[in-house]
Amino acid sequence: MSQFFTAILIIILGGSISLVLARQVRLMRIIAVFLLSAGCFWGLFNALTNLIQSGSDTASFTYLNVFSLTFQMDGLSSFFLVAIFAVSLFAAIYSFHYLEDSQNPLRTAVHYFFFSILIASMALVVTAANMITFMLSWEIMSLSSFFLVIYNHHSAENRKAGFLYFVFSHVGAMFIFAAFGIAYGYSGNFGFGAMASLPDTAKMLIFIFTFIGFGSKAGVFPFHVWLPYAHPAAPSHISAVMSGVMIKTGIYGIIRIYALLDFHTPVCGNILIIAGAVSGVLGVVYALGQHDIKRLLAYHSVENIGIILMGLGIGMTGVSSGNPLMAILGFSGGLLHVLNHSIFKSLLFMGAGMVVHKTGTRSIDALGGLIKNMKITGTTFIIGSLAICGLPPFNGFVSEFFIYIGGFKGVALDKSAFVMSILAIISLAIIGGLALACFTKVVGVVFQGEPRTKAAENVDEKGSSMLVSMVILAAACIVIGIFPRIFIHLSLNAVSALGLGYARVPLAPFERITGNITFGATIFLGVLLLVMAIRFLAYRGKSISRSGTWGCGFTQPTVRMQYTGSSYAASILELFSPVAPLEEKHLKIKGRFPVKTQYQSHVNDIADRHLNRLIVNPVLSLFDKLRWIQHGDIHLYIGYILLAIVLLLFFI
Amino acid sequence: MMHPVDTILSLVLLSVLFSFGSSRLPGLILVVGFQGIVASIVPFFIGHGMSAGGVIFTFVTLAVRGIIIPMSIYWVIKKVAIRREVEPIIGYHASIFCGLGLIVAATFISRQLNIPTISDYTLLFPAAIALLVSGMFLLMARRNAIAMVLGYIMMENGIYLIGTTFSVRARHIVEFGILLDVLAGVMIMAIILQNIKQTFDDVDTALLRTLKD
Repeated sequence: MSQFFTAILIIILGGSISLVLARQVRLMRIIAVFLLSAGCFWGLFNALTNLIQSGSDTASFTYLNVFSLTFQMDGLSSFFLVAIFAVSLFAAIYSFHYLEDSQNPLRTAVHYFFFSILIASMALVVTAANMITFMLSWEIMSLSSFFLVIYNHHSAENRKAGFLYFVFSHVGAMFIFAAFGIAYGYSGNFGFGAMASLPDTAKMLIFIFTFIGFGSKAGVFPFHVWLPYAHPAAPSHISAVMSGVMIKTGIYGIIRIYALLDFHTPVCGNILIIAGAVSGVLGVVYALGQHDIKRLLAYHSVENIGIILMGLGIGMTGVSSGNPLMAILGFSGGLLHVLNHSIFKSLLFMGAGMVVHKTGTRSIDALGGLIKNMKITGTTFIIGSLAICGLPPFNGFVSEFFIYIGGFKGVALDKSAFVMSILAIISLAIIGGLALACFTKVVGVVFQGEPRTKAAENVDEKGSSMLVSMVILAAACIVIGIFPRIFIHLSLNAVSALGLGYARVPLAPFERITGNITFGATIFLGVLLLVMAIRFLAYRGKSISRSGTWGCGFTQPTVRMQYTGSSYAASILELFSPVAPLEEKHLKIKGRFPVKTQYQSHVNDIADRHLNRLIVNPVLSLFDKLRWIQHGDIHLYIGYILLAIVLLLFFI
Repeated sequence: MMHPVDTILSLVLLSVLFSFGSSRLPGLILVVGFQGIVASIVPFFIGHGMSAGGVIFTFVTLAVRGIIIPMSIYWVIKKVAIRREVEPIIGYHASIFCGLGLIVAATFISRQLNIPTISDYTLLFPAAIALLVSGMFLLMARRNAIAMVLGYIMMENGIYLIGTTFSVRARHIVEFGILLDVLAGVMIMAIILQNIKQTFDDVDTALLRTLKD
């Protein structure tokens, strides 16, 4: 594992040096980005080789003579490491030009420091092999990402987002602590290995507690409330890393604990499928109603976490009902979706970051026609959108296809497994359709049409490092979509590390599926090229005139005649109004020639609302009543301390 | 026959009562300085094979605790026109009564804790706890900021006394840590004091209450 630790050290070195060099901004950015990407590249290379050889490696350090910090790198860890290092690599490169006109060099330096800590701690989380190591890395990860969320801490909104994230990540960590406490209470051992020998009730409790704890990091409904606040607040490459890989550490935790517990009841699979279906469908519904492009992408993370959970749930159902093929299809589909989502989601966040960077607004309805001036950003964003909708020949399709097939294998099973499989299949279909609607909205309103405001006019796309990262990630979407074979093998290697006892799974069905996907994608590309060629031939020699989009023959068209995102989504949102109540505000139109009117709409997140009603408000009112304790008199404060000491001395 | 350590420590216990009853800052400073000196020389009488380094170290502690800190505080109140009264929240008689109760409670607690290494010296642990808690008491019951600083130093003296008994081997490290603690604490308090004085033109800590939002 020494190579792995070298990579971590290089990354942290990059972050630390940036603190020292804070005065020379340009030099600092060059060195920090170089070291971060070098470390990530080395880590990526190392994790890939380890994953391909399906090797397993451990390392152990003793800390303060009491705790041993143990690390293990097996297939599952390597798989997540590949995603972590790959996304961080491109995010680091992207940040070079993204932070170019940062006003405050010290803040940039601090940002690079915490960025490096975040990458390192994520890598350590997925390699930790005992409870102490895990919690240590987990907390470092939560804290460093908190500092990254409040990068723009001058805005009160961002501070609030940071606080919300802080609360959620620590309440989640408390649940994980509780689960580990139960495990330690039974086994008296901090190692992960002892979890398999616990009694069944303890296993069930641990599974549920860790599910809540990790779910709050992963953004599972209803613990996703922090996501749509934190992602828009952070700089775009940080959103890419957080949404692309950091929330996946929650998924890693769930699947790792499942493997460690070795607990194969149908309940686990049912919990995951139901939670996945709810998060998936509601995530995309809320995404449809958003006006802020980064908030919208954040809700899509909730949706994709739902898809991943359904994949894992199908896998667990397959295990509990003794259907190896279904289990492996579900697990490998879910894991591959982890990788795929990390690629296309970071691509989309980078694209959104470019848009926000150049136009200065995150409001979808203020943009328009950007693809005319931002060709690369627009094209890569469209590729990412198609991938996230799960359309062939892009990578999102491959993993969702595997989950579908796993679900269809489950239809042949009996009662609850049957119901769950059907539920998963139907929700996947609903999610796919709604995601497509949502991304036609984003792409159509932001990139197509005509600029709606001054901000969207005369933009350019400069910043080679940003463009390069986006192009490479978009290329990865296509490559995985067309040649999924090798990537399926990687996720199969990761699944075999779960220790489910399926050592020799017949590879033939997987080969057949991936072969068919490649065949289909090739035909698709062939038809596409053919159509393009025919179009080229048919239009050759004819004069082509260009006019404004949605001109529709008006002599005096204005940009306000265009469809807006809100109106596009309104009809779909109406269908879901019980779970996504739409709040509309508009002035009443008076007279025959109304002068000026305005319209505002806001989709309420029911989780947000009910958490406020049921938890936040009671807690606040309780502490309001205890406010008298905080009276400001220093002598009574010392009196409290004295009282505490005396009580401790007497009773302990 | 009484051990010399116990004889000295009985003086410390008396000084606690005296400090609770003194109404003027100079007297309080004197008492705290006395406690510092006594606490510092206790290791000589316990005598865990004093090395040359140990002797020097004890003298340094004595100088800092017993002379330098009290002198500098005395110098401060002389230079900056601070009212000499300690301004009690709990009156002097009530304080002395509390002090008596405190000493009784400290003796009771030290019986309960029952630490074997120091059972030879009957008064060591009670005196240490009494110093600690009475320092705390001064912090709580006096409004004058200088009196509070003195209470803090008294508390540190108590901690030092416990430290001398606990760790025979690593004593210097512990003592050095405590000494640094005292210095840092006194310095921080001096800065705060200056700010209080600047803001309110007085060192009455009860005025801090007005800062509450």
